[in-house]
Amino acid sequence: MGTAEGITSLLREEETFSACLARIDSIILKPMLQAEPYDQKGKENFKLLLLLNDRFHALWDVTEDHHRALRQKFSTSTSFHIQDIYIIWKADLFLRHYIHSQGCRVASCAMIQSHSEAWKNHKTALKQFLTDGIPETSVSMALHTILQKPIREHVQQYSLILTRLSEATGKVLTFACRDSLMPELWGFDNKGDLHLYQNDALRLPERKLLEDSKNLPIFASTGRSDQVLLFSDALVLVQVNYVGAQEMAFCSLSSCHEQFFPLLSFCSPNPLLALCPQAVWQWKLSQAVRQALNGKRDFPLWSKAGGGNEPPICRCFKHIFQTEGRLKNAAYEGEWCWGKPRGKGTLKWPDGRNHVGDFKEGLEHGFGICLIPRVSEDRFDCYKCHWFEGKMRGYGICEYGNEMVYKGYFKDDLRQGFGILEDTSAEHPFKYTGQWENDKKNGYGVWDDKNRGERYIGMWQDDHRHGHGIVVTQSGVCYQRMFHADKMVGSGILLLENDSIYEGNFTEDLMFVGKGKLTFANGFTLEGTFSNKSGQGLQTQGVLNTSSHHQLGLNKFPVEARWWGIYDQFLGFVHSGCKEETEESFTGFHVQTSKELRKSQEYLCCQRGAEDAPGKMEDILEELVQHREPELLHCYLQKVLNSSLHPLGKLLKTLTLAFQATYSGTGANRHLLNMAQEEVKHYAKKIWEFYQGLLHLALEQKGQPLAEMEDEETSNLNAYGMILPLILPCFYPELSMLYMLYHEKEDDLYCQGIVNLSLFSDLKLLEFLDVQKNDTQLFVCLFQRRSLIKDKCFLSATECLQKIIMTVDPQEKLEVLQKTYEEIESTVSRVAGKDYKLPMDDLLPLFMYVVSRASIQHLGAEIHLIRDLMNPTNTGGIYDFLLTALESCYEHIQKNIKLHHRETWHSSRDSRCL
Amino acid sequence: MMAIRELKVCLLGDTGVGKSSIVCRFVQDHFDHNISPTIGASFMTKTVPCGNELHKFLIWDTAGQERFHSLAPMYYRGSAAAVIVYDITKQDSFHTLKKWVKELKEHGPENIVMAIAGNKCDLSDIREVPMKDAKEYAETIGAIVVETSAKNAVNIEELFQGISRQIPPLDSHENGNNGAIKLGKQTTQMNRRCC
Ligand SMILES: Nc1nc2c(ncn2[C@@H]2O[C@H](COP(=O)(O)OP(=O)(O)OP(=O)(O)O)[C@@H](O)[C@H]2O)c(=O)[nH]1
Ligand SMILES: [Mg+2]
Repeated sequence: MGTAEGITSLLREEETFSACLARIDSIILKPMLQAEPYDQKGKENFKLLLLLNDRFHALWDVTEDHHRALRQKFSTSTSFHIQDIYIIWKADLFLRHYIHSQGCRVASCAMIQSHSEAWKNHKTALKQFLTDGIPETSVSMALHTILQKPIREHVQQYSLILTRLSEATGKVLTFACRDSLMPELWGFDNKGDLHLYQNDALRLPERKLLEDSKNLPIFASTGRSDQVLLFSDALVLVQVNYVGAQEMAFCSLSSCHEQFFPLLSFCSPNPLLALCPQAVWQWKLSQAVRQALNGKRDFPLWSKAGGGNEPPICRCFKHIFQTEGRLKNAAYEGEWCWGKPRGKGTLKWPDGRNHVGDFKEGLEHGFGICLIPRVSEDRFDCYKCHWFEGKMRGYGICEYGNEMVYKGYFKDDLRQGFGILEDTSAEHPFKYTGQWENDKKNGYGVWDDKNRGERYIGMWQDDHRHGHGIVVTQSGVCYQRMFHADKMVGSGILLLENDSIYEGNFTEDLMFVGKGKLTFANGFTLEGTFSNKSGQGLQTQGVLNTSSHHQLGLNKFPVEARWWGIYDQFLGFVHSGCKEETEESFTGFHVQTSKELRKSQEYLCCQRGAEDAPGKMEDILEELVQHREPELLHCYLQKVLNSSLHPLGKLLKTLTLAFQATYSGTGANRHLLNMAQEEVKHYAKKIWEFYQGLLHLALEQKGQPLAEMEDEETSNLNAYGMILPLILPCFYPELSMLYMLYHEKEDDLYCQGIVNLSLFSDLKLLEFLDVQKNDTQLFVCLFQRRSLIKDKCFLSATECLQKIIMTVDPQEKLEVLQKTYEEIESTVSRVAGKDYKLPMDDLLPLFMYVVSRASIQHLGAEIHLIRDLMNPTNTGGIYDFLLTALESCYEHIQKNIKLHHRETWHSSRDSRCL
Repeated sequence: MMAIRELKVCLLGDTGVGKSSIVCRFVQDHFDHNISPTIGASFMTKTVPCGNELHKFLIWDTAGQERFHSLAPMYYRGSAAAVIVYDITKQDSFHTLKKWVKELKEHGPENIVMAIAGNKCDLSDIREVPMKDAKEYAETIGAIVVETSAKNAVNIEELFQGISRQIPPLDSHENGNNGAIKLGKQTTQMNRRCC
């Protein structure tokens, strides 16, 4: 653009602006001035209006003058000098007029608002100006817009033309001029006032100016040139220290608005406001703040408000964030402190995101419920979780909009640590229980595919089965092998229903491929190359096969490596000093079922910390210290482990979930018994460890001497002796099922023996068992007499023994066993009429008699469960002896009864003939 | 306080050689109120001092009849020592003893201490097994051997003392510790029933 063109457009611009001003004058200002004021307030307003009119005309005049001068210069002189342009060397004066008039308009705008009825008549006139898409909100708003808009546009136009001119002439001077112009416009000079209204954020017509530091100095010391404006709903700080920093000034003003109003308090963390204002200002501020907090705009500013002068530092109100960043456009309603959301509140984003919960330092912190709309569907993901500095961390529950539910730990908004993800949808229901890393399945985990009726137990990497894994199926077939990114690799071991074992490569559909070895239950082995249909190069061998007792997973998944995500959280809790407020985020919610949790959303949000909440951590630790004596400790642990409120109880609960996820249903597979048994024992060890950790912490906090560290052996004894019986009921159903499956064959054989023996009459059976060896006459007398009546001998002992299946605790089972023995002995003593100590030779047959009559179905499973899980201190002792006696009866019935089968049958026939 | 060590001892041998009698003599002859309740004549305990330790014998008697033989492994598993008894008046019982030794070597616990008792030495006039045979045999298997009489209380104490001596002492640094644990667990075990 040439210089001439630039001047032409400048002229045209001036012309347009002039015309615009004329129009405003005739349509708005003139009618306004004609309306006579009739009351006091009206008169005051009228005075302001006159002032406005004054300024308006001054501006108009300047514009006209400028226009004329410019035209003249341009037409008379052919050689054009940049200095000739009026606006450049008279920039100051010219702009001041702009600013003044603009300020007046705004001031009048604020004034008019309280008196808007007067303008109703002029509505039509205003509407003419409102055609260009400005939403009609209120008369005053419209007026304000009308008065301000042309001027703003005019200034913009100016700067545009000036830029072009400067490009054309290439003179430095032009730039200098323009730069000196801009700060005038955006920054602040001490004489000008309200041009700040250019800032969109502040331009609200319903805003009333309550005080200006120009009128009433805010600071005792006058050294500062800052200006402070107090509006009905905002406080604005204006600084001019740095002339060149237009954008910066703009920003700081807007953030000033965001952060300090209406929360402004003079101990605010921002140094700009860390100043002590004068008393009147303080008072006015407090009033304004109160007023704003009360939400009444027309609250009389000078009235005597009840209560103290200081508005509370922590307060409740609603605010919409405007600064850039995560919270932009979000509305927060709730408690604030020091200018930031803190306490309970609700945060709503325009996209429908909604967070209800605890806040701290302006961020989500603590428990919260967050709804996040899903991209495509009309559904929400609902997070009930703990937040830490704006991100999810700790325990949470997420109900995804797609019917999946995650219950577990988060970190930085991602699933991390132990967690259970369940999909209950119809198409592909599944459940994953295990370790998460970076929102993906990573580490040890159990995957239940409900459609296929399959369960994968093993290692994961980035949502794929990866590493060692076990697959168990509903039919009982199971295998263990390596996976690589969900694909099976290498050879594995496959355990078939018919007790044959295949070692080699096989497909997911359980087809043998390649080299392999198939061992049948009868001991025959096929070794060679298999294809889908046939095997080649087979060999046979006769080695006894024990596949039914083959155990999976023992070396591949050491107990220590399973579920460490659960222990980690607890450890974190203890290490962080068991802070009450973090308890839940570490140990999970105490609500028992998910159904209950869904119902209790309100509870979770509002009434937390009320009477339902877990006992105070302090009390928990205190109790811990006071129940250290062995007797008290046992009761205490029992209580605590059954409580869904206590951290230890919660730990047990989570472990139960993990255990059930692995070993219930499809996981009830005899090849997993050792894994399960080992795991339960490990739980006991861990719980004892954590108990000790808690105790240690409690003692430390109370400044009491710490208990000396237990060595491993003592620790194990306590874990197995004290903790195991207490936690066993949680795992008993799955565990005893596994024992039953493991001992199924032996138990069947034994049951057969029992059936055979049941064909005997009591007497015959005793005879058969050689009981009568020593005291034939005595026993025969006894049993004949009894038999006549009820055909029941040693009834009390038999009934006693049957109770063994009614209890869970191995110790109690052992006590039942001892009682049974005592019953036998007392019966014998009664018959013999004297104290009779039974030697083993006599005890065993009698015991066998009682065992066979008690006909406990899964005796083998019982015996082994007791032996594996009983207090290790019993080993070699009297209980062990009794258990061994029972076991020997069991084995004996199993092994020898069959040999006597024929004989049995005959004698029973004999006895029936009698 | 002296450390207590629990030692499981099982008795093996042909029927009628006097196993139960030996246990009875050992446990009940010695007047001791600390004897734990026993299961008839089948399970008994007795504590004897040995050096700076106390040895608590947990004695498991077994049935010697042939038909119970297959159950024996259950009884001798986890034993620290086995007393294998034969009747000096019955050659057969000595033969059975050898079979027991063989079985223990094959299926018994590692490092089990074996003690051979030639019982009924009061009936030496009708002896069938010469002392020398037993001694030689015991040497080949590295076992203790004594001739006993449960009837006359001959060598019964000595038999068990011999076992005590054969039990390897605990490492000195573990010593006190272990004993304390054993006591500790006893208390725990008793206390845990209280509520
Ligand atoms: N003379 C004599 N008789 C003995 C001695 N020890 C045991 N007896 C007798 O030998 C018989 C069998 O003794 P038990 O102690 O019952 O033998 P056991 O080895 O327990 O036999 P089982 O229990 O059937 O294996 C009994 O009649 C005892 O009185 C002994 O030292 N001398
Ligand atoms: Mg006996």
